[in-house]
Amino acid sequence: MTASPALDEIVEADEDVVPDLPWVTIVWNDPVNLMTYVTFVFQSYFGYSRAKAEKLMMDVHVEGRAVVSHGSREEMERDAEALQGYGLWATFQKDD
Amino acid sequence: MARGFKVRHVGAGRNKEPRYAARMDADERAIVAGLMLQVAELIEVPEAPSAEAPGDAFEDIVARLGMSVGPAAPGPDAEEGSRAERPGHVAESEDPAVRRLFPIANRTDPEAAAEFARLSESGLRQRKRDNLLRAAAVLDVTDTIELTPADAQAVLVALTDVRVVIGERMGLRTDEDAASLDLVAAELDEDDPRLHFVLVYDFLTWLQESLAVALLRSVPEKGTRSE
Repeated sequence: MTASPALDEIVEADEDVVPDLPWVTIVWNDPVNLMTYVTFVFQSYFGYSRAKAEKLMMDVHVEGRAVVSHGSREEMERDAEALQGYGLWATFQKDD
Repeated sequence: MARGFKVRHVGAGRNKEPRYAARMDADERAIVAGLMLQVAELIEVPEAPSAEAPGDAFEDIVARLGMSVGPAAPGPDAEEGSRAERPGHVAESEDPAVRRLFPIANRTDPEAAAEFARLSESGLRQRKRDNLLRAAAVLDVTDTIELTPADAQAVLVALTDVRVVIGERMGLRTDEDAASLDLVAAELDEDDPRLHFVLVYDFLTWLQESLAVALLRSVPEKGTRSE
């Protein structure tokens, strides 16, 4: 159930997209989501390897949160939206 | 007795495709599909939580289950959910369970959060709702359930949404709350409606775990993008 990127495509046409990756998407721990499910979402949405997906999942579980992707603001909004669509507790913010 | 999801393959050679098969009797399917439909309704209209509609036992429980599993303190989301911090958020005055499904998307920049909510939330709600309706429809057909990969993913996500709502209703805030759920349930009276809900939650957890494991097997271990 990945989100439709339709809205973002318009924004991406903007010329002044910064070339570095100053924004991040964060997933926060919650007591409901299953570890297998979170791993599945990271693999199927991001295309990450099992090892990377499991590591991120464990980071969320143990640390309470993990940065799961980097990119432009528009990309991170898209990721946060998609992950919220999966029922994960996802947010985006500027990477300070 | 229900049987959890397993992958099996149909067709042969190039046409071989996975199917996600499980067994649930009519009562079990009615419970699961019914909850999916209720959550779909819950997230439909922000101003009017459907929780008050009478006549449906499950709906009543979903709406009113006042169960506190862990310490009584409100969770972090309860504080963040205050109106002041959610300018422009469609769900600002809503049910905490709905707020949990559409959390504030930026914790450091309220304006960015508001803009995200304005641009994304109604589409997100619509897709979630459609997905819940689809999942309820494909599940509630026969005792033998056999899902295509796309339907299986719809069911997987819908199960998450239902569990998130019930979890919020039961006051699950931390991993410890979730882990102690069965201990808390053991102390409830047999006819306590909350006990029934713990059992339903456990059933959904078991069902979702079986489906997540089955679906995870179909995802290439190496991933699908180079890093």
